Amino acid sequence: MMETQVKEIIARVLNVEPGVITDNLSSGDIPEWDSVGNLAIISTIEQELNIEFPLEDLFDLTSVQSIVDKVNQLTNA
Amino acid sequence: MLDASHSRVLHLVVEHAVTTPDKVALVSGSTRITYSQLVSNIGGAAALLCQLGVKPGDHILLSAQKELEFIYLYLAAHLLGIVNVVVDDASPRERLDYIVGIVKPVVVFSSREDQEVDGCRVISYHQLSFNDKEHLAIATPDLTPDDVADVMFTTGTTGSPKGVCLTHANIAGSASNTNGFIGTCSDDIEALALPLSHSFGLGRLRCVLMAGATLILVNNFANLKAFFSIIASEHVTGFGMVPAVWQYIKRISGKRIAQFADQLRYIEFGSASLPVEDKCLLIEMFPNTRLCMHYGLTEASRAMFSEFHESADNLDSIGRPASSLVEASVRDEQGSPLNDGIDGEICVKGNMVSRTYYLSSDNKDAYFGDWFRTGDWGHRDSDGNFYLTGRKKELINVGGEKVSPVTIEEAIVSTGVQECACIAIPDPNGMLGEVPKAFMLKEGTTLTIEEIKRRLAQLLPAHEIPVQWEWVDSLPRTSSGKIQRLKLKR
Repeated sequence: MMETQVKEIIARVLNVEPGVITDNLSSGDIPEWDSVGNLAIISTIEQELNIEFPLEDLFDLTSVQSIVDKVNQLTNA
Repeated sequence: MLDASHSRVLHLVVEHAVTTPDKVALVSGSTRITYSQLVSNIGGAAALLCQLGVKPGDHILLSAQKELEFIYLYLAAHLLGIVNVVVDDASPRERLDYIVGIVKPVVVFSSREDQEVDGCRVISYHQLSFNDKEHLAIATPDLTPDDVADVMFTTGTTGSPKGVCLTHANIAGSASNTNGFIGTCSDDIEALALPLSHSFGLGRLRCVLMAGATLILVNNFANLKAFFSIIASEHVTGFGMVPAVWQYIKRISGKRIAQFADQLRYIEFGSASLPVEDKCLLIEMFPNTRLCMHYGLTEASRAMFSEFHESADNLDSIGRPASSLVEASVRDEQGSPLNDGIDGEICVKGNMVSRTYYLSSDNKDAYFGDWFRTGDWGHRDSDGNFYLTGRKKELINVGGEKVSPVTIEEAIVSTGVQECACIAIPDPNGMLGEVPKAFMLKEGTTLTIEEIKRRLAQLLPAHEIPVQWEWVDSLPRTSSGKIQRLKLKR
């Protein structure tokens, strides 16, 4: 399960305390998670976990939980 | 009723509260504020400022995310002749200290509970409530439209921020020019996802309230699914965005936004250039929407406008003066006007143009008489359309955020590099418009680029860290020793 790793990446990219990154936190909920932050999260996860999010899925990656679920799906595929 | 004859923006807001008191002015989450409540809350905020001992001519520092309290205080200060200094909530410490040192605010209002500003009382918006304030005691001093309403700090070419003094007449002029061009009216419902503390977002707030329309505050554009859902549920008819957001919308959501083409009456673009192919795509996706792009600076907000459908034959133009009250002219180094087709410095004058910087020393070389020098180079064609061909100022426009090369260079030098120069290059990922590139003197350092990047991450926000790096044996300099950054672009 990639949950811990994904949350660690999101906290690091947004430069916030790890405790801020809860399952139900959504993009836009905190000032640090703006559009630039969101792109940085996507590209860092892709690079570090060696996966590629399908373009059509990017629209639905709107929360920590949805990103964790998608990463799990891609790494288990 | 509040007397706001010196402020056209406020005067119209008060008028809307009389003619359409129950019309919704602002929406924030589940909170809906009517024009009547808005004026009442502005009165409450004014009473609070009086209680705090803030006097006409004093400065208050306001930083904001999307708090309604920011809006009440911002307009209350206008009512009382108190000068707003609006700063980005995420301003680096050094920038904030510089600004505070210059304007010496009486009070600081912030989104952050933990904000500390040397020598100033800091009040968090979350501690405020205006409902219980008595308004009756408010005495409006003798104010004129030419009094300074706001001081906005820009990124200076020398690295130090420059305070731009905007009068009540300037900000009302910009808003009425903009509404006149775009056509925003009282029937409109606008979503604001731009930062309120930047010139573009704050300008949208004033335009919407002046028109008697409804503004829906949205945190930012990150969650497009949520943004689109607001467009649908609130029947949004317009919004503003910077070109980097358009690239983001395309990347994250493809063409989903076109489903709102019949509903959106206008979209305003600004703060950076948008490639012609994107303008063509927008024309195709939004056949009936006014697609308006402004050209302007904090000192001369919304100086020119173009509408993509109307200028389909010259989409590379930045447009024409925003209204009959604005003039633009291309001038040579001595300030003499140049003929059409010849490149020179674009200069503007009009109702929205600031007449002075906060520090008079910054006024040096800023004007040719009444004409404000934009620092941008370009020409006018025989039809009156203006075109940009270059920039005299060397600022790097990262997705709409203006970054001084000097700030990055100083940070790089502080890591242990002897000399360095930074320039703007096109973003290799095609998202942010421009990004910084650093040229560093190899001699005298054993640092690797990775080490420098790691140290810079502690010193600069992510968007200011160069994305390309090059070691050089020497940097081009003028005979007086000044680095010639533009030569590095070749």
